[in-house]
Amino acid sequence: MLTDDWDWDIQDRVITDIDEWKRRYPIVQECSVSDDGERIAAIVETAPQKATVCINGNPWETEYEKIWSLKFSPDSRAVCSVLRNYEWTLAVDNVLWTEPYDFVWNITISPDGKNMAATVKKENAHTVAQNGRTWGISFPEARDLAMSPDGKRVATRVKTKRLASLDIFGFAENILTVAADEKAWDRNFLSIWGIAFSFDSSRVAAGVRLDKTVFTIAVDGNTWDATFAGIWEPLFHPRTHDVAAPVKTPRGWTLAMNGKTVWERCFTQVWHQRYSTDGEKITAVIAPGFGKWTVAVDGSPWTRTFSDAVLYPAFSPDHQRVAALVKEKNRWTVAVDGTPWPVDFDMIWEAVFSPDSSHIAVKAERNGLYMIVLDGKPDTHAYEALWNPIFSPDGEKLLIRCIENGKYCRKVVKVNDIA
Amino acid sequence: MIKVERRPVSDPGIDENAKKLTPEQIEGVIRHVLEKESAGRLRTFVETCIHCGLCSDACHYYLAYKRDPSYSPVAKVRLTLWDMIRRKYRVDAESIKMYARISYAECNICKRCSMYCPFGIDIAYLMTVVRRICGLLGVVPQYLQDQGNSHMYTYSQSWVPQDDWVDTALWLEDELRMDIRNGRIPFDKEGAEVMYSPHSLEAKFKTNLLTNIAKIMNVAGVDWTMPSFDGWDSTNQAMHVGDYETMGMVERMHFEAAMRLKVKKIITSE
Repeated sequence: MLTDDWDWDIQDRVITDIDEWKRRYPIVQECSVSDDGERIAAIVETAPQKATVCINGNPWETEYEKIWSLKFSPDSRAVCSVLRNYEWTLAVDNVLWTEPYDFVWNITISPDGKNMAATVKKENAHTVAQNGRTWGISFPEARDLAMSPDGKRVATRVKTKRLASLDIFGFAENILTVAADEKAWDRNFLSIWGIAFSFDSSRVAAGVRLDKTVFTIAVDGNTWDATFAGIWEPLFHPRTHDVAAPVKTPRGWTLAMNGKTVWERCFTQVWHQRYSTDGEKITAVIAPGFGKWTVAVDGSPWTRTFSDAVLYPAFSPDHQRVAALVKEKNRWTVAVDGTPWPVDFDMIWEAVFSPDSSHIAVKAERNGLYMIVLDGKPDTHAYEALWNPIFSPDGEKLLIRCIENGKYCRKVVKVNDIA
Repeated sequence: MIKVERRPVSDPGIDENAKKLTPEQIEGVIRHVLEKESAGRLRTFVETCIHCGLCSDACHYYLAYKRDPSYSPVAKVRLTLWDMIRRKYRVDAESIKMYARISYAECNICKRCSMYCPFGIDIAYLMTVVRRICGLLGVVPQYLQDQGNSHMYTYSQSWVPQDDWVDTALWLEDELRMDIRNGRIPFDKEGAEVMYSPHSLEAKFKTNLLTNIAKIMNVAGVDWTMPSFDGWDSTNQAMHVGDYETMGMVERMHFEAAMRLKVKKIITSE
């Protein structure tokens, strides 16, 4: 998250010498970089059972027995799970949550960085801690964690009853549901997955299995009237409480909203649906046949298909373009509105649109080196490590966070200077 | 007529669930699977087989049971699928129990018999169709159904909680370092070359196997990682149950974990 006063006029700046870290510490784990590019951190280990976090070359004053799941919050604070005196808790810039746990995982942070939550284990049960406060209810097991857009609500998939080993009859009585706001839904299901919050944070949806071949969506525990032979994760409309989900019908997979199919065509597969920000359009990855993948927008598939994979279609901010990562013959590239870039790579990361929708930038890997690719043109500069590029608000510059010659740098380059 | 002699074996997953079946439910499920899910391929296989028995010598069950013809692959198809078809899907719960026993416990879908078949009939596939019918009817061996249930919630077969998976690997890393200085078991390393996808048991009962793999990866200098999130388990018992809905979800989770981590290869264990 770049603040409004972030200085786009500063060009290259070397933040720290990572190679020097590696000389200083026996173990330097993988680096994380803040969204604003100003901080880089890694878990470093000085000796067995002595780990700390090094940020921009400066270690935290405290050493822990173990640390894992280090990441930066959107407001550039370093967050991770730490073990001290055989107790785990969450550390935020080395300030600990006061309560200790048997384990802390699924660290989840709100888009503004102000709210944090995690699933935690305590007294042989699972629960959730939000901003350091533990829920007053616990469950035999909790998996995954979803946070509402405002960061105030979290939900997790829970097992409501502890079963004896091999108790298939107890499982058949339905023991799985969603817990949100310290309360489990009133209704349990055979299976449950894919928790999603509405745009206003007021509603929670999930895919549920009612019987062996009966699937539907539950919103706040209430199921759609319609059921299907299969269903994937739900997604709320960005401005209403409508819920869209891929569903399996006798004609194949298609998209349904609030229980009613909305696309005329059916496909061999449909998943990863995504709305435009105005909610007027919806796109998804689809398979028109086995071994053929592409993107459909409002039910109309691109003509071009790809043999290996299509990932994460995304609308441009003006809702006019769709970009997706595509893989064919084991090579990755970006396809925009159905046309793949004429270059390919060993690996490629999520496509980023400029705010005015005119440019697309991605991080790509070729022969072990990483580069920025802008509108299909690879930058001549390659790096040892690279993070996703970020456009300036006017779309004329790119923030590049990279490691070159062993040093972490943040660079601001003009879009016109790339390639 | 094939003489079928079997020592009685009780299994609550088969015996208790078979008691709940109704004739309408049985007929409906068989009709759905044979006419909606498997129609074209199944018909070709069933109509092509000339009962020559050349598949028999391929089957280790047949060989292990002293060439008892009732254990030959063709007999297993005849005692299950052909029985259902011949009786126009109107079979009783006792028959379903027999189908379950044959398809789950007397065939492990190795496909060796298909190699022996002069027509290339995929006999193992036919056994999976029988499992699918039994799975939808809920008549499944208890141990296998429990693993399938685990996949439904955890996407792993052994009910491994998310915290246990990570915590286990963290202490295994300590053990690893007794043998390999500064050895690592790196979680969620985005862009690694390889995602190692263990068998569920490596996280629960046979953790030494995971340590062994970690030793190999470290010594060989492989750029590797494992997901800390669901999708790490390479197994899929839902497939064996005949729960194709869960099977699909587990496979999707597995591949999407690899794509999320931006790895180029998945290495699985067995």
